[in-house]
Amino acid sequence: MVFYFIGLGLSNPEDISVRGLRLVQGAKRVYLEMYTAILMASQEEIEKTYERKVILADRTMVEQESDIMLENADKEDVCFLVVGDVFAATTHSDLVLRCKEKNVPYEVLHNASIMTAVGCCGLQLYNFGETVSFCFWDDSWQPDSYYDKIVKNRKLEYHTLCYDIKVKEQTIQNLMKGNNIFEPPRYMKTHEAAQQLLDIIERVRAEGEVSRETQCVAIARVGAKDQKMASGTLEELAKIDLGAPLHCFIVTGKLHPMEEEFLAKLLSQES
Amino acid sequence: MVNFTIDEIREIMDKKENIRNMSVIAHVDHGKSTLTDSLVSKAGIIAGSKAGETRFTDTRKDEQERCITIKSTAISLFYELSDVDMSFVKQKTNGNAFLINLIDSPGHVDFSSEVTAALRVTDGALVVVDCVSGVCVQTETVLRQAIAERIKPVLFMNKMDRALLELQLDPEELYQTFARIVENVNVIIATYGGADEDGPMGCLYVSPGDGTVGFGSGLHGWAFTLKQFAEMYASKFKIDLDKMMKNLWGDRFYDAKAKKWVKQMSKTAPKRGFVQWILDPIYKAFRSIMDEKMEEATKIMGVCGVTLKGDDKDLRGKPLLKCFMRNWLPAGETLLQMIAIHLPSPLTAQAYRCEMLYEGPQDDELAKAFRTCDADGPLMAYISKMVPTSDKGRFYAFGRVFAGKIATGQKVRIMGPNFVPGQKSDLYCKQIQRTILMMGRYIEAIDDVPCGNLVGLVGVDQYLVKTGAITTFEGAHNMKQMKFSVSPVVRVAVQCKNPADLPKLVEGLKRLAKSDPMVQIISEESGEHIIAGAGELHLEICLKDLEEDHACIPIKKSEPVVSYRETVTEASNQVCLSKSPNKHNRLYMKASPMPEGMADEIEDKKITPRDEVKARARYMSEKYEWDVNDCRKIWCFGPDQNGANMVIDVTKGVQFLNEIKDSVKAGFDWAAKEGVLCDENMRGIRFDLHDVTLHADAIHRGGGQLIPTARRCFYACVMTAQPRLLEPVYLVEVQCPETAMGGIYSVLNRKRGHVFAEEAVTGTPMFMVRAYLPVNESFGFDSDLRAATSGQAFPQCVFDHWQTLDSDPLEENSQANKIVLHTRKRKGLSEMLPPLDRFLDKL
Repeated sequence: MVFYFIGLGLSNPEDISVRGLRLVQGAKRVYLEMYTAILMASQEEIEKTYERKVILADRTMVEQESDIMLENADKEDVCFLVVGDVFAATTHSDLVLRCKEKNVPYEVLHNASIMTAVGCCGLQLYNFGETVSFCFWDDSWQPDSYYDKIVKNRKLEYHTLCYDIKVKEQTIQNLMKGNNIFEPPRYMKTHEAAQQLLDIIERVRAEGEVSRETQCVAIARVGAKDQKMASGTLEELAKIDLGAPLHCFIVTGKLHPMEEEFLAKLLSQES
Repeated sequence: MVNFTIDEIREIMDKKENIRNMSVIAHVDHGKSTLTDSLVSKAGIIAGSKAGETRFTDTRKDEQERCITIKSTAISLFYELSDVDMSFVKQKTNGNAFLINLIDSPGHVDFSSEVTAALRVTDGALVVVDCVSGVCVQTETVLRQAIAERIKPVLFMNKMDRALLELQLDPEELYQTFARIVENVNVIIATYGGADEDGPMGCLYVSPGDGTVGFGSGLHGWAFTLKQFAEMYASKFKIDLDKMMKNLWGDRFYDAKAKKWVKQMSKTAPKRGFVQWILDPIYKAFRSIMDEKMEEATKIMGVCGVTLKGDDKDLRGKPLLKCFMRNWLPAGETLLQMIAIHLPSPLTAQAYRCEMLYEGPQDDELAKAFRTCDADGPLMAYISKMVPTSDKGRFYAFGRVFAGKIATGQKVRIMGPNFVPGQKSDLYCKQIQRTILMMGRYIEAIDDVPCGNLVGLVGVDQYLVKTGAITTFEGAHNMKQMKFSVSPVVRVAVQCKNPADLPKLVEGLKRLAKSDPMVQIISEESGEHIIAGAGELHLEICLKDLEEDHACIPIKKSEPVVSYRETVTEASNQVCLSKSPNKHNRLYMKASPMPEGMADEIEDKKITPRDEVKARARYMSEKYEWDVNDCRKIWCFGPDQNGANMVIDVTKGVQFLNEIKDSVKAGFDWAAKEGVLCDENMRGIRFDLHDVTLHADAIHRGGGQLIPTARRCFYACVMTAQPRLLEPVYLVEVQCPETAMGGIYSVLNRKRGHVFAEEAVTGTPMFMVRAYLPVNESFGFDSDLRAATSGQAFPQCVFDHWQTLDSDPLEENSQANKIVLHTRKRKGLSEMLPPLDRFLDKL
């Protein structure tokens, strides 16, 4: 039959489309991918809303054991639920390729993603450049290449959307020993992201395209009822904690007068 | 023996100019411990309160039963040099009294890690050579280590009694034997860079004419240097002592008619000085006493100024000879003189040893105090080994103070071998519970110990595994690690007979690891506990200690097995591609074998990851004809960051490569430690990173994605590059009479060994056979050899090199394949080789 990729939308389990819900309820198996983003609901709540059992699919399962998921998908319906949009924030293109390989028919149901919903802060989607992820630094792994991308975007007068997800990663020690022990999921908050950017600026000493004075926007829990936004300079935002996940952060490029107005109002609203 | 109170001993310890820290090193059975005994009986220091108890000879029971030394033991000696002799000391002194800290080390190659530990804390070495067997393999090994550690050697020719009584060599032949040994020793010194006049220690050649070579018999308790005889003759010939000594060695002949020394042998000068003036009198005394010509003997004794007392007068033959020689040329006196005059004091030695012992900057406060042996500077002590105490499971940390003073109750920083300056790993800030003096088997509490001395510490064993540094200086760097000349290539697995004893076994293994400088304890994933040692004997002793002292439980042990290495013999037949789990990151690599000799150089630390990149690249490109640009882009060595495998970045213009470097390194370390064939270390493989495709976003190219990918790619490279196993091979030296040669050959042939050199030992009826023998076949070699030669042949096995097993481990049922599968089974891995497509991905 068909392997359905279904986008769930941003925050509430009920954001699923009507068609999507019907497919979920009629499918043989339903997988919920929860490692690239989270819904503002637990598995139980989701199961209650959809009135059926769902199987949690972690990174290992999606990336390395996709065969289990695709098993019999040509004979029965299988749903694969992705928070946000299927192909937007993170990419499940590899799974699509494998469907092709195995001759499993597939269908995609799109939904809203942070990539589009970010428009809520008044910045125009046309003016966004390449999207980047922030990584949690540890002692030895401190990549700063995304800084270059932000600089590149700013040179082209684009805004940059930044976010970070780190769910169920193994520590290197556990990875080497083959222990399936995962770290508790961590989500970066906007003030941490801002601080990291400040650290990079300090490190590369390039007070150029991006500086402490650069105008930025922080948004938390887009699409949820308690959505929060703040705008200000990089330095200011490093001091504001917006609370529970998920957060995203925008380094602005050249602001259109409409955008400026929006941000100014936003800022006044927050303060 | 000398009776001292602790306060008196403490007083001498302050005179750093008059301290001599020295080790006695030699081939097994060349008579170190016997010689040491004669020194101890002459000058051993015992604290007043302990006089009357015997303790110096009171060593381990198994040491006495087997007549070999297993653990090195330190003892202190006290010696006063006469005013005349003081003029011979060519370094700063402070009074006539000398404190000599002597460490007697084991000679058997299996315990040479003990020698390494002893050399680290001493400045001079007494190299003992049996003048009948000459320079042997272990003599060379220990001498090489001594020179590498910047230890000054002096030589002693032991067992002269055997040369005279058993071999009956004539004097000129004996001289030639001595000359050959001196030459052999000097050749070794030169080979390992000790002959450089401008080197940090000057030229280290030993020469009888300078008094740096002693002759004698440890067993009979007599010894002399040319100085002793020169003193007797100098007044007679009316020439300087120095000149006289030179005349007594080499091609110097006394022309009795012309009454002068000449360089050519002639009718009027028929014998060289050494023969005429030294050997002839000794031979005469030997003959007259052994032939019981008492009249003549009494006359000779009179000339030599020896008067026998009491019961000694009734002695005849060998006992009389021993008694006379001991009185005439007392070994203790001669050797102590040689040690005090020629070996360096800590003050002298630390000036040139500092740069190679201390890893930090040579101009910091600590290095300054180190170089000048300053007791008022910051503290730096090095712990070289752990000595078991009577309290089970606890150890004294034994080492040497290099700078400052160490005291009971002092607050110090204890730095383990993995300490990195500026970080907190492997660092403990603790108080010293107690400082003690360790003299032989007994210990004595002491308040503090100044630099230049050996020391024992109580309580430090909790923080250090085997070795470490102790300092008070905040910014101190670590002391250089000791490098052992042998590798732990033989392993056994141990189990407790009673499963409930497991905790005791684990604890016992921990203690064993502490008590032996080299033994390695490994816990396999299958739950097996492995003990790895240098050889069969070493393991036997370790197991015995474990069973009787450390764990105190009955133990089951497996048959010994050897460690293998995994290598490649050709370049990979394709550029290997591995994709990360999310398929967005791709690594392209190839493996190829390192050129011959490079792996050895890396293991010998001639090529290290810490070298200056450009200089190393130049060296490697010149010697091995590698592209100099490639050599500059070596990412890392492994396993453990310094093994003999490397990753070279040959990519062109790849963005963000730096970001994944650490992940690739981690994957490499992992792969190099647990090779693809059977989880053994890799060796001698060069990996080239050809290209990389990365996900656009940093979050998707983190360690979780790249480390396993890199490992798979390394594995794929090995699998496609004709992988082979390397097995360890011993260099075997067997000395035996000609009649036993046949037996040796047949045993060696049966055990896949091959003889590569066979020579007669000049001056003796013995032959020396050198052969290579795979370690795997060496179990039971000793007993087989003994059986085949009716006990006439004694082998010495020392790890020499890794040898490629010709058969293809990937081919089913080949010899290597069987070994691989067997090893996998033992380690609890899947009992078949993983297929290539598990590691190699397709585009």
